[in-house]
Amino acid sequence: MGTAARLSRANAPRQGIHGGFLHSAERYAHRPAVEVRGTILTYDELRSRAMSLAASLQRATPSGGPPLTAVFAYRSATAYSGVLAALLSGHGYVPLNRTFPPDRTRTMLERSGCRSLIVDGESEPQLEAVLQLAKEPLLILLPERADTRSLRSRWSRHTILGASDLEPAGKFEEKPVLPDSIAYLLFTSGSTGIPKGVMVAHRNVAHLVSFMTARYGISEHDRFSQTFDMTFDLSAFDMFVAWERGACVCCPSEKTLLNPAKFIQDAKLTVWFSVPSVGVFMKRLGALKAGRFPTLRWSLFCGEPLPAEIAESWSSAAPKSVVENLYGPTELTIACCLYRWQEGKSEAECLRGVVPVGYPFAGMDVLVVDEELREVPPGEDGELLMAGPQVALGYWQDPERTATAFVVPPGRNQTYYRTGDRVRRPKETAPMCYVGRLDHQIKIQGHRVELGEVESLLRQEAGVEVAVAVGWPITPSGAGGIEAFVLGNQLEPRAILERLKRKLPAYAVPRRIHLLSELPLNPNGKIDRGQLAKLLADLPQF
Amino acid sequence: MVVSAEDIRSLVLEKLQPSLDAKGLSAEDVPDNFDLLTEGVIDSMGILQLIVEVEARFGITTDFEELDPENLTIIGPFCRHIAKKSLTVNR
Repeated sequence: MGTAARLSRANAPRQGIHGGFLHSAERYAHRPAVEVRGTILTYDELRSRAMSLAASLQRATPSGGPPLTAVFAYRSATAYSGVLAALLSGHGYVPLNRTFPPDRTRTMLERSGCRSLIVDGESEPQLEAVLQLAKEPLLILLPERADTRSLRSRWSRHTILGASDLEPAGKFEEKPVLPDSIAYLLFTSGSTGIPKGVMVAHRNVAHLVSFMTARYGISEHDRFSQTFDMTFDLSAFDMFVAWERGACVCCPSEKTLLNPAKFIQDAKLTVWFSVPSVGVFMKRLGALKAGRFPTLRWSLFCGEPLPAEIAESWSSAAPKSVVENLYGPTELTIACCLYRWQEGKSEAECLRGVVPVGYPFAGMDVLVVDEELREVPPGEDGELLMAGPQVALGYWQDPERTATAFVVPPGRNQTYYRTGDRVRRPKETAPMCYVGRLDHQIKIQGHRVELGEVESLLRQEAGVEVAVAVGWPITPSGAGGIEAFVLGNQLEPRAILERLKRKLPAYAVPRRIHLLSELPLNPNGKIDRGQLAKLLADLPQF
Repeated sequence: MVVSAEDIRSLVLEKLQPSLDAKGLSAEDVPDNFDLLTEGVIDSMGILQLIVEVEARFGITTDFEELDPENLTIIGPFCRHIAKKSLTVNR
């Protein structure tokens, strides 16, 4: 048994979110924990890999940094062992994504202050760009690389460990984890152009995991989809809810996600979780045929408004599954409200064809308020504020923004997070409905994009004073992409777009930049976004 | 309506011309195994829009169930799939 024997069930640290994984690794050592790229890792194998990485982190991480380790890995075995290794070593994990521009990844790494990072083979080519301006010496673990000699000479100030340099799993020493320690630090779009890091604590995730495992009756026979990249916090649901009970996380390739119908069947998934856009795609491609997914028990959607017609089609494609719409920003830890779709009843509860966000999780408190943070009467629209055990710790090294978003409203005695989402305060037992955003944040296939961030970079890259970004085309669940307008005529849109691609993730890069000699204004003198949308409607789509 | 894969390819390339130009590619340069997604010519929402435009132009609707998702964004298999479906479904 070796390493397994060292962590008997009795002394496994239950307080950390990886405690569930360790517990399952004892009970279900030879069951699959992860399936990714045709590789199956059993709980025992994944634990060994994670402990070996964790022991290496414990031995060699330079001192003086925050308790955070970056995981620069994408849909690979190393991504999963890396996340667990960071947690086992007593650190929170900071997910980085090779499909983002290296500039953005570098900003995230710098802002986090991580002194250690775990990198998979396919992300390695970007290291050069990411490490360019690294101020401190770092520990870089490359578990997929045999020979590190050339890298060592190139980056002599950093410590680079390849596969053969890693500590044996047996060297791992258990670390106690405090409930308030950071479990993960996740960067989201910030309106000023700099991504902001949301600090989510172990106790935040623990609350969600215990609520969800009980609600969904998860067992070692369940098989979860992993449609979300790790830079999207919903991915944490798949991992930690599955591992809590010995279930398997099945991770498809990026392209399979365009039409995952065959994957759902082949992998015999029992729990599906994605943004509604994936359902919209599948329906359009003819993949949501009645009875197509008989193995699914639960079909969960989150991240953007769920159109009623998608809930309906999915129900018929997965007839043995219950469809639930989840709601929650990163700051409230993955999800905090839910609504169960019930045919014949739910249709009447939808608002403008969108499924309600429903009811708060047990322990979470809802408050719908006006601009002065006073509760609005039932039936009125207002901003949604939520309090409870899933309210995150705040923004990393940003007390100002934390103070603005995490508030104690007048007459209350706990901290509420201001979601910036407009909802309709329900009457009596009716479900809560989503109405829209208060600001210029939009969702593109579930990804949060602050149009202000895109506009600020546009102004910078185009050297203009006025730039406007709008979500376009409008889809039932948000926007398909972004189109941009700038004031000026001596500009080269293609060159500007190329520069933006180096700063923004692909989903946030405008698909086109339109040059205008003047921008339409509304009677208040503000830019009339509605007029710009009309302009777009008259243009060809490419 | 029966449509040939060549007709579909021409329409697709015509629609994507601005993006191809930006990459310095002409229509003839685009090989059969050109991946519109990984080459950055189109995003996932763009694929749906492309399908909508192709279907509208030729008055057909296409079921993509049998097309391997790995091939959905590769120009050759994508065009041939629509052409094949136009034979069987829309006749």
